[in-house]
Amino acid sequence: MLKLKNINKKLGVFALSEISIEITEGEYYVLLGRSGSGKTQLLELIAGLSIPDSGEVWINNQDVTRKKIQERPVGLVFQDYAIFPNMTVFGNIAYPLHSGKLKKRDIDHKVKKIAEEMNISNLLDRFTQNLSGGELQRVALARTLVNSPRLLLLDEPMASIDASLKDDIKRTLRQLNRNGLTIIHVTHDYREAVSLAGRVGVIHNGHVIQEGPPDMVFSKPVNKFVARYAGIRNFFRVRFRREGESWKALCDGDLVFRISGSSFPEEGLMILKSDDIKISNSEPSAGSDNCIKGVIKEINPSEYGMEVMVDAGETFFVDLPVNDFRLLQVKELSPVWMTFPKEAAIALPGAG
Amino acid sequence: MKNNLFSWILLILSSLVLLFILAPLAGMFLNTGSSEFIETVRDKEVQESIWLTLWVSFAATFFFAFAAIPLAWLLARKNFPLKGVVQGIIDLPVVLPHTAAGIAVLGFISRDGFLGKIADSLGLSLINNPAGIALAMAFVSVPFLINSARDGFSTVPERLEKAALTLGASRSRVFFTISLPLAWRSIMTGFVMMFARGMSEFGAVVIVAYHPMIAPVLIYERFSSFGLKYARPASALFIIVALAVFILLRLISLKKKEIYISPDAEA
Repeated sequence: MLKLKNINKKLGVFALSEISIEITEGEYYVLLGRSGSGKTQLLELIAGLSIPDSGEVWINNQDVTRKKIQERPVGLVFQDYAIFPNMTVFGNIAYPLHSGKLKKRDIDHKVKKIAEEMNISNLLDRFTQNLSGGELQRVALARTLVNSPRLLLLDEPMASIDASLKDDIKRTLRQLNRNGLTIIHVTHDYREAVSLAGRVGVIHNGHVIQEGPPDMVFSKPVNKFVARYAGIRNFFRVRFRREGESWKALCDGDLVFRISGSSFPEEGLMILKSDDIKISNSEPSAGSDNCIKGVIKEINPSEYGMEVMVDAGETFFVDLPVNDFRLLQVKELSPVWMTFPKEAAIALPGAG
Repeated sequence: MKNNLFSWILLILSSLVLLFILAPLAGMFLNTGSSEFIETVRDKEVQESIWLTLWVSFAATFFFAFAAIPLAWLLARKNFPLKGVVQGIIDLPVVLPHTAAGIAVLGFISRDGFLGKIADSLGLSLINNPAGIALAMAFVSVPFLINSARDGFSTVPERLEKAALTLGASRSRVFFTISLPLAWRSIMTGFVMMFARGMSEFGAVVIVAYHPMIAPVLIYERFSSFGLKYARPASALFIIVALAVFILLRLISLKKKEIYISPDAEA
């Protein structure tokens, strides 16, 4: 469907470099990266708003690198939707149809049909100034989809809408994808990637640094940057040491982790997902691979429930559901024991 | 107390500036007798010169807009070599002494000049002709239109134009359906400014065409030939007409529905 071959593009001091991505028909691909990582520029390259310095863009087995924007079967929804303020909702949605040779009646029909699908039929006569973020987004989607593009590019589609509307729009996007539309969705929020993507690419400083199904990318991040994206906050710089058949990771502050795996370099980074760590208020009986004693430094509410910061020479972040936290009956400065299986400790050999 | 004193100083200084503008105008109107004024209103020569001033300035603005507006768009949107120099050239007429501007235009449109030769071959003389007056007016006033339209185009978010392109619109369609309507207010403001500036021009026009007489030249002629008293009613009348036209155009250009452009959200 879409092939990017060794794309290079210099943009001031920043550059997209050696980007190669292949996306198959009907795929939902999420490109994850911080603002300024080059995601929007990459979308603009695919849409034809800019041309790469080198490399090729192929869509449907055709080299479109030098093809005009208007001739690419691609629809792009901008981050802030780019709704035309001088037109009504109807005028906005009908805008792409006037470029063809459609009769007024056909235009009318097409606009009404897509407006119905997007649930905005009641807005058609309105000007766009007073529409909510969610409504504007539906208008933008309708306007892009009315010409039936083969490939839909979404630039941070959830960035400017209320949390309550996000599920709604996710449902719509899933439905569109299920109907066969290929989607490339750019975001900085890994949760969107987890809930929507068939495949994820992580872009950083103009490079795609990891690609794969979301569970793979987030359970086996290739470096600290990707790990951070997976919501991981427990990073430890360690030295790996072999002891007989098993391996240990030694942290600066006298901490020793038992880890699983068969070969490690001398040094590297070890990460722990904060929901893989269990906490108890008394010393657990032996049985866990890793048991570390610490003192609670801070307790903060988080989106998962409670986030507990434990000082054990190094700081650990532990996420607990609210009920588990209540049962624990601890407060700041309480002593606690953290346990986790050795499989939970993920080593990033040599990563920084 | 200190704050209060500061407010008073501000108020007094501001009032002085306003008074400085209004006092001479008020004096002129107060010193114009009603019988003289009515006589001037009925004076055919005065009527014709005011009419000539209005329509020639309007025509100059209207025709120059066709080239000035695309140039303004280019300046707002494109980066090209020597763009700063081009911007400087556009502002040049504003800083030139207007008589010098008149001399320059005259050289350009006289029979030996570039444009003059072309006009001459068509059997037309631009000197002492409304077309020559229009050129002189445009020379000193077109920067107002270009700069205002350029500022207007700059406030149109570029991503709206990009979005239109991705929706299959040609570049010209994007210009006419997105850029132009969204910059319309600034363009109209520039239009009114250019028209008003052209209408009030004396220095450049008097060198290109003493006759037919536009209102500022007529006022000058009455003053130099007959004195202040005789020039006053014509001046008063011209100011009233200019103000009325100015207000009318402002109202027309403001009447268009205000379009809200959201601030650029691009990171």
